Amino acid sequence: MRRPGLAALCLLAPALMPLAAPAQPDDFRERWSGFWTVRFESDASGAALLEQLPEDAVLIDDAGGGELAAGEFSGLALSESALAAVRNYDYSAELLPENACRAPSVAFYMQAPFPMEIYAGRDLIVFKMEYFDLYRVIFMDGRPHPPADAPHSLSGHSVGRWEGETLVVDTTHIAPGTFMNNGFDHSPNLHLTERFELSGDGSILRLTQVYEDPATFAGRAARYMSWSKRPDEYVLPYDCDPNYGG
Amino acid sequence: MTISSRCLAGFFLSLASAVAVAHHSFAVHYDGDRIVSVSGVVEEFRFRNPHGMIRITGSSADGAEGTWTIETNSPNILKRRGWAEDSIMPGDEVVIEGFPANDGSLAMRVYRIRFADGRELIGQRPAAGLER
Repeated sequence: MRRPGLAALCLLAPALMPLAAPAQPDDFRERWSGFWTVRFESDASGAALLEQLPEDAVLIDDAGGGELAAGEFSGLALSESALAAVRNYDYSAELLPENACRAPSVAFYMQAPFPMEIYAGRDLIVFKMEYFDLYRVIFMDGRPHPPADAPHSLSGHSVGRWEGETLVVDTTHIAPGTFMNNGFDHSPNLHLTERFELSGDGSILRLTQVYEDPATFAGRAARYMSWSKRPDEYVLPYDCDPNYGG
Repeated sequence: MTISSRCLAGFFLSLASAVAVAHHSFAVHYDGDRIVSVSGVVEEFRFRNPHGMIRITGSSADGAEGTWTIETNSPNILKRRGWAEDSIMPGDEVVIEGFPANDGSLAMRVYRIRFADGRELIGQRPAAGLER
């Protein structure tokens, strides 16, 4: 008996492939989920991940809570419009109550020295950040980014996939919210590519971020960060108070 | 700094440098290369994110007198180092060391607080070489 339905399905299979959930590493839920705290100590364990960065990427030297002073951009070549925005930036306004609780975007908050909790599932990976009580949602179900004019947010729209044991995340739709915490911000068209990996024993999480934003800087920029896993700990509420200074 | 094998060693070393904790920039508002010391009496202590705030009336080692506004790191960070909302009380006599404001005002970011009873609280640690 002929089965035309099955034959048609076989022909359609390649087109349906992108919707299929990609293979996940073994035990990824247990290994990735949990409380992760920033590693401040010198950490050479991420050298292999750093070697995978584009050769032309400028490495921003402020991760883990470091900061660049006014006018310092780690060697990144800013566009004329970005330089003009920095020149006109009013640093004293940062201290006003109306600005004290303005949260940064994912282009800066992942490098902050605050812990996070990760909840890893097959179709979603959720990051609960302590910093400003922010959340990230990584869609792992093969969906594309929304149209370019869809709403932007500080965490953006993130889609992820597994490349072996490495989690690769692509993020767009990121609302501006500081890039270097020194008056330099990115545009709404920033494109972020991240590669997360675990150490063999699952105790260290490492991340490289690669940024592209031709409106504000030439070429590509990158950051590296790492976290240690700690059992039975949780992020604390941030509950930002704009009147903290009285 | 572009990515190359030879730059990685220096980059990893830089991760061990002093840590700023802020939404507003520490590097822009405070001088991380200097530490000043102020002795005085606590007038007020607030322990709310994004920063705690201590006000003391006193004088610095170089004679600057008045009411000092002393910012702390994020309380979330400090809670994990043993700070609490009642760690500092009005009337406490303290010696506070910290990083002075770049604008010359009577303000600083706290590094260390020493109490008359010998207690000590650590806020933002200085870069290697400045610690004392």
